Amino acid sequence: MKQAGKKAMIIGGGPAGMEAALRIGQAGFESVLIEKEAALGGTILKLCSSFPRWESPLELVEEKIKQLKHCSYVKVMTETTVIESRTRHDGYSILLKLNNGDTTELDINAVVLATGFEMMDVSIYGEYGYGIYPDVMNSLEFETLLKAWGDGMGKTPQGVAFFKCVGSRDRSKGYPYCSKICCMYTAKQAGLVKDMFPNAKVYVFYMDYRASGKGYEEFVREVIEKKHVRYVRGRPAKVLPDGGRLLVRAEDTLIGIPIEVTVDVVVLASAAVPRQETAPLAAMFGTKTGEYGFLEQKRFSLARASNRVFFAGGCGFPVEAPFAQQQGASAAVEVIELFSQ
Amino acid sequence: MEDNIYTPLNLNDIDDSIQEEIRTKCGIDVDLCLECGKCSGGCPNGHIFDYTPRKIVRLVKLGDKETLMTMDALWICLSCQLCLDRCPSGIDIPAILDYMREKACRGGVEASRPRVKLFHELLLSSIRERGRVSELDVVLKYNWKTGEYMKNARLGVKMLLKGKLNLSRSRVKETEEVRRLFEATIAKDLP
Repeated sequence: MKQAGKKAMIIGGGPAGMEAALRIGQAGFESVLIEKEAALGGTILKLCSSFPRWESPLELVEEKIKQLKHCSYVKVMTETTVIESRTRHDGYSILLKLNNGDTTELDINAVVLATGFEMMDVSIYGEYGYGIYPDVMNSLEFETLLKAWGDGMGKTPQGVAFFKCVGSRDRSKGYPYCSKICCMYTAKQAGLVKDMFPNAKVYVFYMDYRASGKGYEEFVREVIEKKHVRYVRGRPAKVLPDGGRLLVRAEDTLIGIPIEVTVDVVVLASAAVPRQETAPLAAMFGTKTGEYGFLEQKRFSLARASNRVFFAGGCGFPVEAPFAQQQGASAAVEVIELFSQ
Repeated sequence: MEDNIYTPLNLNDIDDSIQEEIRTKCGIDVDLCLECGKCSGGCPNGHIFDYTPRKIVRLVKLGDKETLMTMDALWICLSCQLCLDRCPSGIDIPAILDYMREKACRGGVEASRPRVKLFHELLLSSIRERGRVSELDVVLKYNWKTGEYMKNARLGVKMLLKGKLNLSRSRVKETEEVRRLFEATIAKDLP
C-alpha cells in the first residue's frame, strides 16, 4: 500500500543500498536508488565466489535487481551522481547529474548513504612494489585476475602469495584498525587458486586469522586442511624481482627463522577505507565522520547519522555482503519509522 | 637449521615428503595444527627441549627432516602423551616423535647427546630382563658405564628414604612372555 508523500534517497547501489531501497519501497514509501556506475551491485559485482559457502555473489545481485524491479515504489537511477543539496524544512532538495549531462532535482525526506569502501593505495609500501611490479596487486584487482583464470585466460601460476594486513593494523603508514573482511576473502581467494590450479603453491602470510562468524572458522580451516593452502605466520618484509617472478622475504615467526619464497603473483589484502565520495557527501548532509573517514552513528541508533541521514554498509566500516544487507535493512527500518511519525 | 640461521629457508625448496610420510604411515595430518602452543605449554620437559612440541609440528610442515632426526627433543621426550591429551586438534605428537626416533635409528643418526642412547638401551634391557624397570639397576649400570659413579648419589639417598627406590629389583612372573613380546615387536629392519 502506498504511503503518502514521503520519499527517501539511497546513495550507492551495492548490497546495503539495494536492501535499504527495497525495504523502504516494500513498506510503501517511495525510494530512489542512486548508482554512479552503469550496473547495480557495487563491489560485489567484481567478486568471484563468497564466504562461508562458496556462492556466487552475482546471484545475490540478480535476485535483488529482480526484487527491486518488482517493487513499484523504487526508482533506480544508474550512472547518476549527487551534485549538491539544499536543506528544506522536511528534508533536502537534491541536484543529481546523469552521465549524459542531464541534471534533475528531487525533493527528498531522508537520505541513506551506502557508498561502500575501497582499497587503500598501498604504493606507499615501497618494500612491496605495488605500482612497480605488475604482478603485485591488491585483493580487488586480484578478483579480476581470478575471473580471467576462471575463463582460461592468463598464465598458469606456479605460486601465489597473499599478504594480509597491508595498511591495516599499521600505526606508521596505514591505519591502526583491523579491516575485518580480509582474513575471510583472502582464505576464499587462496582456496579458489588451489581449486583452479591444484599444483600451484599458495601461501598466506598472516599475523592472525580472524574468523569470527557463523561457519567462518570452518571455512578457513577447510582452506588450510583440505585445499592445502600454506599459512605462514609473519608479515612479509620485502618483495624483490626474481627473473620475471617475485621473491618474498619474511620471517616464519612460529619457528623464528627468516624465510623466502618465489611466486608469480603477490596479492596485498589492502586496508579497506571509505570511498572517496563519502567525505564530500557527509559534509553535504552535515553528518559526522570519524577518525578514519567512516560515518558515525548517533548513540543508541542502528544506522542514524543525523536527523534525516542514515547509512549502511562499508561507508560505516568494512563489511561483508550479508551484513551490508542487514545494515541496509536497519537503515530502512529507521527511515520507515521517521516517515511513519 | 641452527647452522644456517642467517640464510633464509626457501619455501620453494620445502620437501613435502616427511609431512606426507607422517600423513600416510602414522595417519597424522599436521595441517590440523592451530599453532596454539597448548602442547608446549603443558610439556613437562618443554623447558629443556630445543624444539618444543609445537615447533616439532612446524618442522614437519617445513619439511625439515634433518632437524627432526637430530634434535634433542627426540630423545628427551618422556612420551607422557600430555601434548596429545591437550591438543585441540588431537594431533598425536608422541607418535610423530616415535616415528622420527625409529627413522633416526634406522638411518644411523646419532643422538646429539650420546649418553641418551645408552640410557635408552639400559632401560629397555632392564624391561626385557625383568618385565619392568628396576630403577636401581638402570642407575647403577648407567653410572658404571659413564664412569660417573657418584652421579645423583644424593638424590638416590633421598629417593631411598622416601621409598621411591626399589632395592628388591623385582621382576614380573612371566618374563618369558615379555621376552617373546620384545622379539615380536622389534622391527626386523631396526638396527
